[in-house]
Amino acid sequence: MKSITAAALASVLLLALMIVLLLDGNSTSEAGTHLTMYCAAGIQPPIEELRSEYEQRYGVLVEPDYRGSGTLLSAIEVRRQGDLYLAADDSYIELARKHGLVAETFHLATMRPVIAFRQGNPKSITGIADLLRDDVRVGIANPEAAAVGKITRKLLEEAGHWADIQAKVAVTKPTVNSLANDLDIGSIDAAVIWDATANQHEKIDFVRVGLFDKAPRKVTLAVLASSTAPTAAIRFARFVASRDVGREHFEKFGFEAETGDVWEQTPKLLLMGGGMLNKAIDQTVAEFEEREGVRITRIYNGCGILVAQMRTGTQPDAYFSCDTSFLDMVADRFEPGEIISQNRMVILVPKGNPKHILTLQDLTRKGLRVGLAHPEKSALGALAQHMLEKLSLWDRVQKNAVVWSPTGDFLVNQIRTGSLDATIVYRSNAAMVTDYLDIVAISDESAFATQPYAIAQNSKHKQTMRRLLDAILASRSRQRFENLGFEWKVSAGK
Amino acid sequence: MIGTAAKRKASNRPFAACLATVAGAYVLLILAMLLADATFTSWADMKEALASREIRYAIKLSFVSSTITAILSVWFAVPIGYLLSRFEFHGKPLVDAILDIPIVLPPMVIGLSLLILFQTPIGRAVEGVIPITYEVPSVILAQFAVACAFAIRTMVVTFDQIDTRPERVALTLGCNPAQAFWHVALPQALRGSLAAGLLAWARALGEFGPILVFSGATRMRTEVLPSTVFLELSVGNIDRAVAVSLIMVTVAVVLLIIGRVLGLQEGRR
Repeated sequence: MKSITAAALASVLLLALMIVLLLDGNSTSEAGTHLTMYCAAGIQPPIEELRSEYEQRYGVLVEPDYRGSGTLLSAIEVRRQGDLYLAADDSYIELARKHGLVAETFHLATMRPVIAFRQGNPKSITGIADLLRDDVRVGIANPEAAAVGKITRKLLEEAGHWADIQAKVAVTKPTVNSLANDLDIGSIDAAVIWDATANQHEKIDFVRVGLFDKAPRKVTLAVLASSTAPTAAIRFARFVASRDVGREHFEKFGFEAETGDVWEQTPKLLLMGGGMLNKAIDQTVAEFEEREGVRITRIYNGCGILVAQMRTGTQPDAYFSCDTSFLDMVADRFEPGEIISQNRMVILVPKGNPKHILTLQDLTRKGLRVGLAHPEKSALGALAQHMLEKLSLWDRVQKNAVVWSPTGDFLVNQIRTGSLDATIVYRSNAAMVTDYLDIVAISDESAFATQPYAIAQNSKHKQTMRRLLDAILASRSRQRFENLGFEWKVSAGK
Repeated sequence: MIGTAAKRKASNRPFAACLATVAGAYVLLILAMLLADATFTSWADMKEALASREIRYAIKLSFVSSTITAILSVWFAVPIGYLLSRFEFHGKPLVDAILDIPIVLPPMVIGLSLLILFQTPIGRAVEGVIPITYEVPSVILAQFAVACAFAIRTMVVTFDQIDTRPERVALTLGCNPAQAFWHVALPQALRGSLAAGLLAWARALGEFGPILVFSGATRMRTEVLPSTVFLELSVGNIDRAVAVSLIMVTVAVVLLIIGRVLGLQEGRR
């Protein structure tokens, strides 16, 4: 009797222990983390709200340093510390990138410079010419310190007004906010500030002028290369850029906000990839997952099978296809694909090539045991069939086929166990087994597949999937592709 | 019995030889398969496999999820087994047949059915509370769906073989049915419960088809040892697939030895 109670108790305890083991290391809490954020002063209002909301929700403290974008960039260059940098104009981010200071970037909103004045426009200011009038006291932002100052100088220089305006400027301020305050107080009559800043001040009106309007600036948040907590920094950046949380706060303060991803602390994403890409991208995807704090379920299979799965309702966030032809079949679901690589077909034979197979023609030899990929389930099979049909060899090679596999890697396994004399696979399938097998090159021009990466049109996390694309395009990832025998086909400049 | 009979009567020799040949052939097949695995791989491959972070995770998840599945299976199998063994009720043959469905269904079908189940409104509501599909709980659920059916079979046989007399005596002495179950039937079924748990554990460890469909086979997340074999095969890494297979063979052998040491034999008490 006692033993039964003991056994029941033991089973409960064991179960609890197992569940603890499962949960162990599964926690994603970043509570208590401190992030340092260099933030353009003009973006202070929405960021102030967002950072306090974020702290309340997740216990992550974001400590901001509000100054002019240019001033902040100098500070970052000198200190090489901190986690996030929000610039009012992405040209600063580009500068920072050139110095190797920037990792990921998030486009948050668009701003344009405007001529602002006190409510009711007492001085009847309508354009740039009015800034030159003697009765108008003009303030501008310091071009070295503030983003709006830099773009003001650039545009006025191009239009040939800079020298005249500079000569009569009443005051130069280090941030757009202090300029707006001066307008508010009435110590100046007009200033060139951001439309969003003007929107935030009740007592300030503005006029858009063509010269400034054609130069929209991108408010951009960057995760710094120096960040010691990149995952927490990226997560906060996703929060700020999100279309449902961040955007609301930006629009509230008169910003023209971008459409980011839907906010989820740990988004769950689905990536479908052709079987051949497994070895080329899995490590890259795993690293990306860890850095971004997202979860990506990867399904690798023959592309025909993947297309069939999509048609029965599985909707991936991105699809990395074995061949453009297998993206075309579901093109209506995806944004235009980006070509990443090419993979050549080869004939694979046992070491030493005991059957002396040198050309595709040799595969028609009687009694040969040939393994082929399935033409409907995989791009490999379809391309091989197409190539053999073109050479009028299909019927005869097909007769020798003793096995039809969904992916090239299964064919490699089969030939390694000795059950095949030859098989047609991709070069990448054969890359890791050259100790046991020999590769016979195929001379035919059409003997390759082209791999595009495409983001789903209805994905809620397009920006994240775009950053995954950046990770795939990075040189470390390229090395992985090339080590496997892929040819890198990304157009220059990427 | 057959052995001693054969010794006594010489005329039984050919028959015994036949049996031995058949048995020998099958034993040989099993050993030859294992030997082929062993010769295909090397210590270096085994060590490399065991050193890999992904495979270590798969080993941990396999052991933890199988243990949870085994315990849950016993918890379900004991009352269900008792119910089927001791009580007659309307529709019993139907319930009995339904409980066999997981045993006869192709594994992939179970995975597919679970996947579809969690796409229904009810399933989605559950997912809202605990994420299941493609997550660790799906591994346990997929294992449980199959393993529990086997544990139930074992428990039914166990209770069938326990004499009902002591329980009836207990009832006449003033026990209620629950007390008779807990104090009289269950202690006698302890060994059978252990056998059911061990069987469920082994089924769970070997479970693959439903997990592939319902949980995916994402590395470091829902990868269990059988998925590792599949994943390594699907990237053409047959050496590692074989190394991991041998790990599973070792575990199976250890499990069988534990079973024998505890004197447990499936179907027999």
